[in-house]
Amino acid sequence: MKSKAIVLILIALSLTGILAVYSVDPSRGEGWGESLFSRQIIWNFAGWLVFLVFSQIDYHQWIKRGWLWYFLMVLSLGAVLILGEGDETGSHRWLFSQSVQPSEGAKIALALFLAHYFSGQRENFDFWPLLIKSGILSFIPFMLILKEPDLGSSLVLLVTWLGVLFVCGFSAKKWAVIGGIGGGLLPLSWFFLEDYQKDRLLSFINPEKDPLGSGYHILQSQIAIGAGGFTGQGWLSGTQSQLYFLPARHTDFIFASWCEQLGFLGGMLIIGLLGALSYLFLVVAARSPDLEGKILASILGISLLFQWTVNIGVNLGIMPVTGIALPFVSYGGSSLIVNLASAGIVYNISKSEGWENWKL
Amino acid sequence: MWDDEMQERVNQRITYLSRLFLVILLVLTLRFWYLSILRGDWYKQKSEQNRVRVLSLAPIRGSIYDRDNQVLAEDIPHFRLIFEKGVAETEEIEERVERILGRELSPPFPERGVGEIILADQLSLEEVIKIEEVQNKLPGVMVESYPVRHYPGGEPFAHVVGYVGKINAEELKLLHSEGYEMEDRIGKTGVELEYESFLRGEKGYRRIEVNALGKVVRVLDYRHPCFKNSIVLTLDQELQKYSYELLGNRNGAIIVGDPYTGELFALVSKPSFNPQLLSRGMSTEEWNALSQNQNRPLTNRPLQALYPPGSLFKLVIATGAVEEGLTDRNRKIFCPGFLDYNEWRYPCWRRGGHGSVGIEKAIAQSCNVTFYTLGLELGADRIVNWARKLGVGQPSGIDLPGEKTAFLPTQEWKERQLKEMWYPGDTINLSIGQGYLLVTPLEMYRVVSNIATRGEVYKPHVVKEILNSKGEVIKKINPVLQNKIELKDETWDTLVRGMEEVVNSGTGWACRGLPVKLAAKTGTAQNPQGEDHSWFAGFFPSSHPQVSFLVLIEHGGDGSGEAAQVAKKLVEWWEKERKVKSEK
Repeated sequence: MKSKAIVLILIALSLTGILAVYSVDPSRGEGWGESLFSRQIIWNFAGWLVFLVFSQIDYHQWIKRGWLWYFLMVLSLGAVLILGEGDETGSHRWLFSQSVQPSEGAKIALALFLAHYFSGQRENFDFWPLLIKSGILSFIPFMLILKEPDLGSSLVLLVTWLGVLFVCGFSAKKWAVIGGIGGGLLPLSWFFLEDYQKDRLLSFINPEKDPLGSGYHILQSQIAIGAGGFTGQGWLSGTQSQLYFLPARHTDFIFASWCEQLGFLGGMLIIGLLGALSYLFLVVAARSPDLEGKILASILGISLLFQWTVNIGVNLGIMPVTGIALPFVSYGGSSLIVNLASAGIVYNISKSEGWENWKL
Repeated sequence: MWDDEMQERVNQRITYLSRLFLVILLVLTLRFWYLSILRGDWYKQKSEQNRVRVLSLAPIRGSIYDRDNQVLAEDIPHFRLIFEKGVAETEEIEERVERILGRELSPPFPERGVGEIILADQLSLEEVIKIEEVQNKLPGVMVESYPVRHYPGGEPFAHVVGYVGKINAEELKLLHSEGYEMEDRIGKTGVELEYESFLRGEKGYRRIEVNALGKVVRVLDYRHPCFKNSIVLTLDQELQKYSYELLGNRNGAIIVGDPYTGELFALVSKPSFNPQLLSRGMSTEEWNALSQNQNRPLTNRPLQALYPPGSLFKLVIATGAVEEGLTDRNRKIFCPGFLDYNEWRYPCWRRGGHGSVGIEKAIAQSCNVTFYTLGLELGADRIVNWARKLGVGQPSGIDLPGEKTAFLPTQEWKERQLKEMWYPGDTINLSIGQGYLLVTPLEMYRVVSNIATRGEVYKPHVVKEILNSKGEVIKKINPVLQNKIELKDETWDTLVRGMEEVVNSGTGWACRGLPVKLAAKTGTAQNPQGEDHSWFAGFFPSSHPQVSFLVLIEHGGDGSGEAAQVAKKLVEWWEKERKVKSEK
């Protein structure tokens, strides 16, 4: 049942993404190969192929090779820093002439590694050495991505690590210590942020201060969503996205574009689909017969939940702009393929799940 | 076993997680609801503001004409070249326009509104045609006309017609509710100010949709600016110009009008200013030079400047004295050339004295001693009352801004302000229009006009009719009888005969030999600034007055001189140029 539900939701999300990209494609109507819309379709095909493959491979095979993924991840992230190619925002996130974004792959690689690392030493759960060692190991890719800079993806890695600690039952006392250290480091981290990231944080606190500068994104996205009202301004209408007032309207702010056209109802559809998918990931984790599956499915669920709630939170103006895309919907190949790969793994876990100890 | 416990603990945590998830979901949904449902209308408005720009197009002001429909003020279209940025490359368009016009443009181009720049201003008609011929090669370029105020009448009309200027902060605050915006033109003085609501015209606008880059997507809506009303004045353009010239390089004022309707044919104030320059906008230095000029060219002298009336005021004394029975045709007063009062001696202007004079001769000869005597008999309070009754010290209600009224000194005022008692000498000075007394030329013009009409007081006005945009009269300014001064026939007769004698045998000798019978009075006003001001005021024909007039020449010497000579030329001109016309 749950396996089928996962596939149905994924299909719905894929279609939603294709439609959403189509609706804001500035090159809509031009040649097939030129438009963003056509590329999104091609990536969907690729993504579904990946999903099929991952869903057929026993997830233990992935977890078993945790260290391999870890090294590949650090290697490719290092390569990005050395050989990386810049994009229009000035950050270096790409390899192989802007076709591969290793920071996207890192999201799944770290999850596999941590599932391997933690499930291999269950006797050490809730002990300081495991926490510290895993912390250091996660910190390395975290910093490599932060240097690109790609704050969003590095935060996903951080949340993946925190997620595994939580799922593996680390006690409240340790969380207090982590929280204390984190809280202490947070003001310090200000000095490591890029100027544009500082601007984003400041303008999140007070977007009206500089409505044409860094506060622009936040204001325009809220205007688009608000102007959509309950049922939206209609498919392919809506001046905020069609007349380019909304920036990044096909990537980070695709939710706002969608809501301007289809309103609260359209937006709740996306929230409903992503909410249901995240929920299913957690259900799969709870019903997984072994610890490996539990850990992996739950941290992939946490990672997914984190990404879409932060993205929509940014669109709704209740979180600072971090540069996290909306999973399955935002334009972009690497993110789509990695997300479908994660879903494939969880699908595979769901196939082997048991029914014991289920309560929510 | 150990593993089960472990799994139990992990499941526990997953349960916690799903609760956290529900909380997050709730927060997002509530925020989403707030934005799109509760504040939806507000954001819709914001989104409208994002995309729609409204450009106001300056309204076309109504014209101002003289009584014969000669233009005194009008809007003339000037042309400028507007370019909608983003439609094409600015440099490319700039080059093409330069080639077409055959002259260099001068970047940087001023921005107008969002997304539009002014490529060139002050295009000639030929240039406009050149551009329009190749319009299709110039995407995003359009010729826009905008109105510029012209004053073909120039300086002689500046005070009456007024001028327009950019609305200032104070005016904007006051008039914002009536739809005025920054950069709007507004009447600053004269008829331009007084009749602003008629002259203003209606704004046009262009509503355009722009995208985030400021590129114009399309024009949503367009309305031409238009004008509503134009105004016809009572002024006679030729008479006004002639009067202005007659003053030569003297400062002064001339008022000519119809005593029975209140219409003014000429209302001249000299020195004047160029309304064109003021409407175009002046630099601070230019403005300071003009506004602080010692000759006060911006003051509309007939209604805004105060002078001692001198002997002209004797008409007021005479009216009071005859009406109150202090004197009549039989009473003679002996003038030895001075009047001794207490220890002081007050001279008559004629050293040798006038001998024994009656009231009519006293007016004709402007005998000081007679008026000292009558003034003392009346007393200051009654003199002031009579002045008021004849129209001095009351606003006339003329349809021009900034009218001032006389200063009439009273015993109470002197004791309060100067902390001095009122001496009989003050009354004596008041009797010949000197001392503390100050009047405007318009008030003295009203005095002679009211004598001409034997007490019918008409409201003076400079606007004759208001036309709509088709040129049809929508409002005619009819004579307004403000008051009827009830006096004995004897009083009126005495005044008119006295004034006729001024010309026949008295101080107004300069006006002898005119083809029409004139009734007038001279005035010579001593003043602290220098030589005496020269007054001459009256009406003609004296038996059935059609025109009343007043001439004031600052520092023009005695009234029988310059002012009377100017008046003579005015009457001659009228008889030659206008008599036939007015009799029709």
